[in-house]
Amino acid sequence: MNNALMVGLTRQMVLRRQMDITANNIANMSTAGFKVEKLLLRNVTSGPATAMGGAAKINFVQDTGVTRRFSDGQLDKTGRALDLAIRGPGFFVIETPNGERYTRDGRFAVNDVGILSTSDGMAVLDDGGAQITLDVNSEAPVITKEGSVQVGGLEVARLDIANFENLSSLKKVGEGRFKAPANAAVQAVENPVVMQHFLERSNVVGIVEMSRMIQTTRAYQSVSNMLSKAETLSERTIQRLGTVR
Amino acid sequence: MRALNTAATGMLAQQLNVEVIANNIANMNTTAFKRQRAEFQDLLYQSVERQGASSSASGTIVPTGVQIGLGVKAGSVYRITDQGNLAQTGNKYDVAISGKGYFRIQLPSGDDAYTRAGNFAVNGDGQLATEDGYTVAPGITLPQDATDVIINKQGQVQALTPGNPAPAVVGQLEIVTFFNEGGLDPQGDNLFLESAASGPANAGTPGSPGFGSIVQGFIETSNVNAVQEITALIAAQRAYEMNSKVITASDEMLSTSANLRR
Repeated sequence: MNNALMVGLTRQMVLRRQMDITANNIANMSTAGFKVEKLLLRNVTSGPATAMGGAAKINFVQDTGVTRRFSDGQLDKTGRALDLAIRGPGFFVIETPNGERYTRDGRFAVNDVGILSTSDGMAVLDDGGAQITLDVNSEAPVITKEGSVQVGGLEVARLDIANFENLSSLKKVGEGRFKAPANAAVQAVENPVVMQHFLERSNVVGIVEMSRMIQTTRAYQSVSNMLSKAETLSERTIQRLGTVR
Repeated sequence: MRALNTAATGMLAQQLNVEVIANNIANMNTTAFKRQRAEFQDLLYQSVERQGASSSASGTIVPTGVQIGLGVKAGSVYRITDQGNLAQTGNKYDVAISGKGYFRIQLPSGDDAYTRAGNFAVNGDGQLATEDGYTVAPGITLPQDATDVIINKQGQVQALTPGNPAPAVVGQLEIVTFFNEGGLDPQGDNLFLESAASGPANAGTPGSPGFGSIVQGFIETSNVNAVQEITALIAAQRAYEMNSKVITASDEMLSTSANLRR
């Protein structure tokens, strides 16, 4: 009898976590370059329900990981010269005090010393791993589709657009950034498509998240119903069998 | 339940978004106003468990484990420093900057402020000043009997006086540029102050390479685009609603659990 409660409990634990992830997806609907996430589940099979060799095994449910959909988000034209978006695969490379980080969030700016950087002042790196310095008195730089940063028709730098064979090994560290594991092979994207004056919005689809949320709450409720039925069952068993005639 | 807090961060973020949009729309007709944009970043990720755990007896490793994000935060509110339209006013003291740069204004405190709003006037001392009466650096005094004032593209201020066929140069407007215009510290009244983020002011002559040129008789309108703001407002409102639904749904789940035991 306890099995029903335990199986129900694992399901509810997972559903709560699913809800947390859906909430994070919806909260980040307006976050540039955000990639939608989903919980990965699997069943854990344990022995038959009774010591007498029951017919069915018990399947518990367990969450094993989070997957991210790396599809392109919607591109929004902003008209700002240092808003960049990548179409197709690839990440911008950012230099942070904790090492290189990768992002699809291309809301860049020039900091107080003229270095192309993110909104919190981390430098954006070029294909040689160096920071990109822009001249204050030149007109706004032109960034070509290939990622070449040009001022007055001359190439100043070429943006590093990195990619990974195994995207699922990337870890999110917040602020729209990903961290690669130490052994990940960073490759440069061969033909990157960088769009100047555009921003990549999050690839969260509101309707999908809302329906997943409804599914989650309904599933949670039906497990609760099952739990209370199981409880009623054991209550009746005790009452009937325990009656002394 | 994390979902409750996560959705609350989402609602706060969208609220900020609406506030910024409201300010943009309110300043649609403010001279040289630069529209702003609220930008968001995802918050920290909590590694719940099983990162690098083996998923089978043969030792395959779960690559990511379960990482749960804790919501969203406002990264920054950018000022988008695109050029606004130039609107003709016909007023000879209205000057607009076409291109990069800011006018330098002397505040009564002696500090410098910067503005692109060139709707100037002449004060009681004959000096070129802003609508608030702050003088425009480096200080240009117009002759009292001037019949006309000409400000050319390079910012030279010339005055025509009676009995003198050739206009006399009475001053030179200067403009300044910054490494990071977005980092200027807004003071209201269309004025900005230099900040650590903007970098130092770099003064120059209008029309020289890297500096905008002066257009007399025009003002720069705000660069707010009504259609863009309204669509952003709709998106923000819907996102706000969805976040509130997440709170309702999480609440429902909690109440289901609470009612398990009758």
